[in-house]
Amino acid sequence: MLYSLFAIVILISVYTARHYAFTLNRLFGFQRHPYIDIDVADWPAVTILVAAHNEERVITNILEALMNVNYPQDKMLVVPIDDRSTDRTGAIIDRFCEEHPGRIRPFHRTGGKGGKAAALKDAMELVETEVVLVFDADYIPPCGLIKQLVAPFFDPEVGGLMGRVVPLNVGTNLLTRLLDFERSGGYQVDQQARMNLGLVPQHGGTVAGVRLSALRGIGGWNENSLSEDTDLTYRLLLAGWKTVYQNRSECYEEVPETWEVRIKQLMRWAKGHNQALAAYGLKLLFGYHRATLRERLDGFLLLGVYVMAPVTLIGWLLALALFYEGVAPLHGVIALLAITAYGATGNFAAFFEIAAANRLDYTRQRICLLPFLVLGFGVSIFSVSQACLSQLLAPITRSQFHWDKTERFRPVQ
Amino acid sequence: MNTSLATVLIVLLAGLFLTLPFLPALIELLLKRDGQPLNVIQKHEGEIRYFSQGFRAYVAPLLESLRECVAQGASATGTMPDGLEYHLLGRTDDTLLRSDEGKEATCRSVEITGTDVILPDGVTFPNEIYAAGEFIGGGKNIYRSLFGEKNVQLGQASTVIRWAHAVGALRAEPDCDLYGRISSDREIQLQSGCAFQRLNAPRIALGRTDGEETDIAPEIVPTSRTVARGLFDGDLDIKSGEIVSSNIVTRGKLHIGAGARVLGSVKAHEHLTLGAGVTVDGSLISASTMRIGPDCQISGPIIAEHEMSIEKGTRCGSARTPTTVSAPTIQVAEGVVVYGTLWARNEGQVVRQG
Repeated sequence: MLYSLFAIVILISVYTARHYAFTLNRLFGFQRHPYIDIDVADWPAVTILVAAHNEERVITNILEALMNVNYPQDKMLVVPIDDRSTDRTGAIIDRFCEEHPGRIRPFHRTGGKGGKAAALKDAMELVETEVVLVFDADYIPPCGLIKQLVAPFFDPEVGGLMGRVVPLNVGTNLLTRLLDFERSGGYQVDQQARMNLGLVPQHGGTVAGVRLSALRGIGGWNENSLSEDTDLTYRLLLAGWKTVYQNRSECYEEVPETWEVRIKQLMRWAKGHNQALAAYGLKLLFGYHRATLRERLDGFLLLGVYVMAPVTLIGWLLALALFYEGVAPLHGVIALLAITAYGATGNFAAFFEIAAANRLDYTRQRICLLPFLVLGFGVSIFSVSQACLSQLLAPITRSQFHWDKTERFRPVQ
Repeated sequence: MNTSLATVLIVLLAGLFLTLPFLPALIELLLKRDGQPLNVIQKHEGEIRYFSQGFRAYVAPLLESLRECVAQGASATGTMPDGLEYHLLGRTDDTLLRSDEGKEATCRSVEITGTDVILPDGVTFPNEIYAAGEFIGGGKNIYRSLFGEKNVQLGQASTVIRWAHAVGALRAEPDCDLYGRISSDREIQLQSGCAFQRLNAPRIALGRTDGEETDIAPEIVPTSRTVARGLFDGDLDIKSGEIVSSNIVTRGKLHIGAGARVLGSVKAHEHLTLGAGVTVDGSLISASTMRIGPDCQISGPIIAEHEMSIEKGTRCGSARTPTTVSAPTIQVAEGVVVYGTLWARNEGQVVRQG
């Protein structure tokens, strides 16, 4: 039991070191934004897929925004995917199509497998361009975003691209403010540090792009994946393509406003991520492919982030059990020092990362909210652990995954 | 002190330390002093002319008065709504821009000239200039910002601190320091020794070029075309005169020999060199440094993540398909022409030939 606990502490320490490395890189390292200066070019034709399942609250905003971007109109086609919607989503899309002839080609999906990956896969029949961008329906792209997102594809090594997600409904309640923290840390620090260090920036499935030839080369969207973005990241990596991150390509999104919606979202992400870990983890680490050593290691650690929640829980339980068992470590003083050091700096790593992200964003006041992150952390660790456990037991319980679409909170337009 | 009291005290103390950080957190949660989303400007296009267009709109209400000044050959002064003083110049006379002693002067007002203007040497303009006519600046002048409705010529060793825009051509004599955004709707010409950061014009000529060259760019290949990709883990050397009909990605160094042609795009993780007369139909990307030899032709964007040097006679983009050349540090030899944007995040320099 003691050695298991030590193993867990070592594992957690690896992730802690990773947090610190990323944060220090963002604060003091060389920052890579190689494609952001491309403002003039022979812009390629692009298809923009907008995944929409019962999105009547938000679909108008994104279609309006896309009709106002500064990308050459004759080179941009918007394909809203009305994915088996039972509300007015389809009608709204059709109205936009009539108002903007030739610029929108709707894809009404009335049947088939549920989930975003399946919808994207079916919609690919309308895609003829080499560059494909993907948005969720709650996003509001600014005027210059499409050019920024297309620019990295001038690099023949780039197969996937991710922009920065910025919550719009930040001030609604404590949850939205905590999610704003999470996004800041995740994008402003984590993703950009991975970009800087030549590691594995993650495709997020929205405010994102993919090269059609690369996508076809890896077999298209994986409709069996619960998180098609993670799945895509790793299949591209294994096939020798890079996914790049552009921190300055920012786009507003709507974050969940209730804990129930948030927990469902988190559990879906955890299951999808773990699915990718099972499918690609060992292959990434030991397989014969073109990923570099640092990509292999970072990619594997990235795949393991959701597994760390139950691992940490187990660590707590083990520590508690050992305490009541009266077990003393062989080298008590060293163990005590190690645990104290971890308690002083290790647990603080994620907080440090988020505080640094807020500093980089010049949002100083909101750092005051950092102590509440304990609450978000607690909810996450139990939700993700529950998701991992149910996933582990699924073959026994024979439970089927039910796709929960993230609920929207904007007033109906 | 008995044990019970000590326990209670320690619990209270621990509770206090635990709840203390939540006090500012609660205040922020309730007051929402910083509860707005990050400012993602929905209309942001990254347009180089953003400030110059804004300034043009700023002075627009004064143009009627300026026309009157021109008609009367007079000048006038006044105050803008934001409190800045302005100076309307309705005649071609630089005496108003000189100090009483006729020595180097500082013009502290926003200068708005209605006719062609030739400025004396050594004048500092800490505020913007609007020129309705031709603008010829003296040597060693310092401009904060400058807008010219016609051609703009900056005298030798002049400095632009924030931006300059010419509706006509913008020409900078040798050794100018051009910080910030420099743009023209027609053409920019920078002589040798000029330093720059961000330039944009349909045609940017660096140093002495061979006049209006014909558009000899290769056949335009649509960048959305699917081209096969050659992926190399080590260094790669493409032989002189070779024609490569795919995209090339190399994780090491890449050298493309003289006269070779790549029908796709090129990416190197390490140093990338192009020999003389190389043609690349797509983009040219280096995650490190890049040296482009003389008389090359690159159609797509050219990006180096560290340093870039471009030798004489090279053409980047074409009049029909302008492009972007970008690196933190760029050295461009005289005789290079860029169609579109030339952007050195840290510093660009036009290097003297020979």
